[in-house]
Amino acid sequence: IPGPGLPSLAGISRVPGEHSPSLCILADSREICSGPEVLSCLRAVHGLRVQVCSLGTSDYIVSNRLAVDRVLQSELQSPGNRSKLSQRLQRLQGIFERICVIVETDRVKPGETSRCFQRTQYYDGVLSALVQAGIRILFSSCQEETAALLKELALLEHRKNAAIQVPTEPEGHQRDILNFYLSVPNLSYGAALNLCHSFGSITAVANSSVPALAAGARLSRPQAEELHRFLRHDFDLQLLPQPLPAKGK
Amino acid sequence: PVTAGSIVVPYGHVIGNEKWRGSELAQRLQGKVRLIFEDALGLVDFHLSNRTCILLISEADLVAGDEFKRRLVRFRNASSLRGIVIVEKTQISDQYYLGVQKLVVLELGMVSLPVANQGEASQLIIQLVSFCVREQSRDRGANPFLGKQRAQLAEAAVLQAVQRIPGVGKTKALLLLQRFGSIHRLCNAAIHELEQAVGQTAAQQIYTF
Repeated sequence: IPGPGLPSLAGISRVPGEHSPSLCILADSREICSGPEVLSCLRAVHGLRVQVCSLGTSDYIVSNRLAVDRVLQSELQSPGNRSKLSQRLQRLQGIFERICVIVETDRVKPGETSRCFQRTQYYDGVLSALVQAGIRILFSSCQEETAALLKELALLEHRKNAAIQVPTEPEGHQRDILNFYLSVPNLSYGAALNLCHSFGSITAVANSSVPALAAGARLSRPQAEELHRFLRHDFDLQLLPQPLPAKGK
Repeated sequence: PVTAGSIVVPYGHVIGNEKWRGSELAQRLQGKVRLIFEDALGLVDFHLSNRTCILLISEADLVAGDEFKRRLVRFRNASSLRGIVIVEKTQISDQYYLGVQKLVVLELGMVSLPVANQGEASQLIIQLVSFCVREQSRDRGANPFLGKQRAQLAEAAVLQAVQRIPGVGKTKALLLLQRFGSIHRLCNAAIHELEQAVGQTAAQQIYTF
């Protein structure tokens, strides 16, 4: 059975430049604690639609292809965070075409005289590595500025016709289907939403060709191929990584 | 004159614009990197490799007005080299940084890195050079941020995905996968085939899902 075509695609691919009433950004739920002012600024000052969901991978998803991670300057100063940061960014590279890191100056705690930022060789090394890996870097001095930068990025992606333009709050049955898509490795939250929106059912997705998947989920060609392979992957019990636990635990 | 074309940088060297000869920056670089001065680099301050170069914007450039913007745009239009813009961000020029960053990163698609003074700039350049050298020697593993293509077994992931179907736990997921093999075939299974594998109620749930 061929998929039901892509009925909603016409709605997605609007003419770039036509200003959409509200740009949409997905924010990870951890940001409620770590960047509350970023979220409120995005909503109140810039009038963006901010959907908080558990992204797990990046702090923000700004468009169908761009993920943004917010890191504090102090985190880049100490080698202790290195492996955590590099694992996180490597994972993002598997999922997103573009990655941006916003380096935010640490907040000066009340009672603390402004600390002098001691630039370490290690810090320069991290910046160089990021540049070489093709990851975009932006610098921000506070959460308000971070919000402004996120808005700029969202605007830019909108002009390039990559903005998130599907409903971001599926309900009921759609919610279950979204959860199913989210379990697919290397599929971003945005792509999962697009799949929910563009295809009538999982069966329609499973029966779609690579180009149809790429168009419907707004994925790059290699990513769509990966999804296609995954859906048709032949399961082999022998290859399960760990032996199954004994019955009855 | 716009000289933004390719320049051959000998392995492990840095080619600096003549105008930096004798500067604090050049003095700090010497001894750490092999620095060669050349005339007629035009818009570029330093070439780190055949495809990476540096443009420096000083505090004075920022305060003086928009001339530096024209320089950046001219560079971008004339060259396909990877341009790294190092900006002297001090207490005085701080207020301009956001604007510069927006132009360089968002509009021109280049890299913008702030430093507080020429000393910091030299430190940063040394690190950038070391990464350029590693890149040229194809030692990609040295960069912790470059994605490694790891072939992962899909088995565990497929099993996880099938368990997201309402009413299906680990046992039923295994039964289904052993019978149907892939998600694609599972989706296209008829209801009576599902019933044979997992029973009537669950089969109905899976089918409607």
